[in-house]
Amino acid sequence: MLTLILETATQFLFVLLAAPLFAGIFAKFKAMVESRKGPSIFQPYFDLLKLLKKETLVPQGSSILFRYVPYVAFGVYCLITLIIPVVIPVPIIFTASADFLGGAILFSFAAFLKMAAAMDSGSNLAAMGVSRLASFNFLGEGALITVFIAVSLITATDNPYTTNQYLVSNPSANITLVHVFATLAFFMIFLYETGKIPLESSGMQELGMIDESLNYEYSGRLLAVNKWSSYMKQYLLGSVLLNVFLFPWGLYSTYPYFLLDIPVMIGKWLLLIFIVMIIETTLAKVRLFKILDYLAVAFTFSILFLLLSEVMH
Amino acid sequence: MTPGTLISLLLLLVPGIAAIFYFNSIRLATVVAASVDEVLSVLLFWIMPPRGFFFVDHTTDIFVFMITSIYLLSSIYSLRYISNKNATGLKQDTYYLLINLFAVSMLFSAQVNNYGLMWVGIEATTISSALLIMTEKTEESLEATWRYIIIVSAGVTFAFISIILIYYSFGTLTVSTIINSGITNTLFVRVAVSIALIGFGTKIGVFPVHTWLPDAHSEAPSPVSAMFSGVLLPTALYVLYRIFEIDPIKSLFIWFGTASIVAASLFLGYQARYKRMFAYSTMENMNLALIGIATMNPIGIAGALYLLISHSFSKAGAFYSSGNILRSTGTKDVGSVKGLSRRMPFTSAALLMSSLGVSGTPPFGTFFGEILILYAMVLVNAVPQFIIVVIFLVFAFVGINLNVSRMIFGPPGEYREPGRLMPAVALVASMVPLAIGAFFMVVNYAIL
Amino acid sequence: MIYDGIVYLISASILVSAFYIQGQRYIMSMIRGQLVQSILIAAASFLLAYLENSLDLLILGALILILRGILITYMLETRMPRRKSYVFEEGVNVPYLFLVDLVFIVIAVFIIYSIIFSTLVPISQPGNSSTLLFPLLLFFQGIFLITSRRSTYTQIVGYVEEENGLVLLAIFLLPVPIIIEASVFLDVLALVVISSVITVEKSTHERMEELRG
Repeated sequence: MLTLILETATQFLFVLLAAPLFAGIFAKFKAMVESRKGPSIFQPYFDLLKLLKKETLVPQGSSILFRYVPYVAFGVYCLITLIIPVVIPVPIIFTASADFLGGAILFSFAAFLKMAAAMDSGSNLAAMGVSRLASFNFLGEGALITVFIAVSLITATDNPYTTNQYLVSNPSANITLVHVFATLAFFMIFLYETGKIPLESSGMQELGMIDESLNYEYSGRLLAVNKWSSYMKQYLLGSVLLNVFLFPWGLYSTYPYFLLDIPVMIGKWLLLIFIVMIIETTLAKVRLFKILDYLAVAFTFSILFLLLSEVMH
Repeated sequence: MTPGTLISLLLLLVPGIAAIFYFNSIRLATVVAASVDEVLSVLLFWIMPPRGFFFVDHTTDIFVFMITSIYLLSSIYSLRYISNKNATGLKQDTYYLLINLFAVSMLFSAQVNNYGLMWVGIEATTISSALLIMTEKTEESLEATWRYIIIVSAGVTFAFISIILIYYSFGTLTVSTIINSGITNTLFVRVAVSIALIGFGTKIGVFPVHTWLPDAHSEAPSPVSAMFSGVLLPTALYVLYRIFEIDPIKSLFIWFGTASIVAASLFLGYQARYKRMFAYSTMENMNLALIGIATMNPIGIAGALYLLISHSFSKAGAFYSSGNILRSTGTKDVGSVKGLSRRMPFTSAALLMSSLGVSGTPPFGTFFGEILILYAMVLVNAVPQFIIVVIFLVFAFVGINLNVSRMIFGPPGEYREPGRLMPAVALVASMVPLAIGAFFMVVNYAIL
Repeated sequence: MIYDGIVYLISASILVSAFYIQGQRYIMSMIRGQLVQSILIAAASFLLAYLENSLDLLILGALILILRGILITYMLETRMPRRKSYVFEEGVNVPYLFLVDLVFIVIAVFIIYSIIFSTLVPISQPGNSSTLLFPLLLFFQGIFLITSRRSTYTQIVGYVEEENGLVLLAIFLLPVPIIIEASVFLDVLALVVISSVITVEKSTHERMEELRG
């Protein structure tokens, strides 16, 4: 029981505290590749601290939704943290509250809440971002859910921990057709959801922004919370990609070895950051309406190989 | 080599030999080759090849006779209809070359003793006939050619699945072996036959996949339309019949035929262009013949054969006279043509007789074919389909003859017969079904 | 076991190439996609020829490579206008096409497959009918490409793709006699030659008043 509590605490605190770190590492590495000096890898923490100290302004005419949704969304991401294998490869205390599909739906729920709150601000730019997001998400979220279903079909259960263990113990399952294409589709979704370069260039210029525009009217503490939940979302999706799709090995579950999971996850993340960085620095950003093409490809792959897995087993 | 095999082989070789004269008097060579083929096809009734490479029985004979006859009529008609002046899409000589190849590919599909090669033959008919549609190059004829190529080849490709399934079930593709083998009632054979209905049905004009048919028929030059409607579609029907024989799925085929007749009659009702109207009439007749074959009853099959052979001459006559009208009036619209009877008496007579023929009026052979098919439908208990078919046959009859009488009668217009040969060919073609009808009454007096 | 995996991999790549073709706006990419697809099918044929010790499949693979891969690609490329890498089709809405395509394929293929083809036992690979899914997918993908596009070139590529599906079905299920397969290849080649006459005259296809109803 003690082990379980420790594991839960480790997972939760690691995700909560280390999520901004990976964003910082990514920014630093990218700057190095582009021959810039770049910010410190702890810059996201400084940003958060600075924002927490600043005054919070709320637009006139916005309702309670605008003020409280950042906290609710943050809570939703915290809940997701507890139910999918992002650090510890065995079930922890709150795991039983939802399955794989539940996790995917919680992601969609958080996205919906943020969109609703951004609309509530009454800003034109935020509304534009919401309309973009809504027109892309109908494919993105669909693909996300389908990918999770496809993976759960491999092991005939929608428990992500079982899937992870199955993939660890059956190396050949990692190169089945269904798994390879589900991984590909999920990787495409990961790039989209975290706003990486072929789809969205980060920064506050309104031309290409999608996800960022939701934060347009936020300031101070609310903005800090929103940013923090974005970091967590990136970490969660990336860890699912690593632990369930790309590279399921190397995680420990017994006391005291599970503490080794932390360096292992950092190592895996460095691998993922390396891959994403190659993509970011070699590709150009696509035009906005081409994103729909991109997502359609991901969606098509996920659906097609979902059906194939059903037929072939 | 037996005499029968020699005749079958010569039927294929003679038009090929005509094609050798491509650079020198191919027009004459084509007519001669077609006449020789006509004689050979008549000989084939008495001297049939044994079952080897060819598979010819009396049903095949009738189809071969139809093909050679329309081939002959069309090549004679083309002598005047096609000239270098109006053949802007193809050279005149190329036109005759393709006509010969077209005839060869049809004769090949009808006689060969192998389902795979039948498929190849049907595909070859598409290849050889596609460019004929754009002989008179217009924007519409290019579009019609393209629709013909892409829809028909895509559909016929579908039929190759059924060829693969037949080979999978029987281990051979030889027609005579498979028909006599007896093991038929497996799932795969049923699937193969159903897929063949849609696949080859594209070429026959079965309802959902008929869309190329009116375009190709209305845009092709008249002798080519006559060959399409008179013999190309029956050849495809013959191949389907050979596959259908493996495992007759009667109800499916009869229902598809009925649906197609309904669709054809409805489309036919509001056509404003006479060649398109005749194209839909072809679709209606083909599907009636399909139903006749699908009854798998000697009366039904006999009726289908009567219908097909009379229809091929009648429809050829209809398209030849349409060609005459098009040449002298320059329009395809029913509404713009009035009062042909005074100025173009022969063409009018041919048009009237052939339109009565294709719509199944009593003394013509088509009528007896239709009656036999309808009788066979009742015999196999397809009563609801029988009622639907009768209603829509009447509908089609009224539609065609109303339009044709509008064109023929009325105050005389400023028209002129286009020469003597073209009306003569049209008249001959439209009178043959009368002879077939008379022949039927004499031979089958006992039945009546 | 390992060969099974390779066969699946090739089949999946063929499927991906089909979707690649469907998603292209530029004609040249489509023709190249068709070339890759034909090469992949030839590879499948060679692999099965090696596994089954079958001379027929070997000849078939060579035929595919020469007639499909090289000749048809050559025919299509030489008929293109001069600045061929810039020729593209307008109004191609990729997400819409993909979604409709998915619905079409789900309905057409999976129903047909689960009713009929899952009970077939391929001669080429005993006891493994799930590979038969890929030829059917390719076949219907070709039909969908023809129906969804307006350009002559695209429709030819769609037709070739449809034929590729049939060839793949024959390879996986049971090769039909090589004489017939060869005539089929020649037919398709001739048809592409004939169609390329029209591509010069008319490159897109719209509705026409005279050809209505």
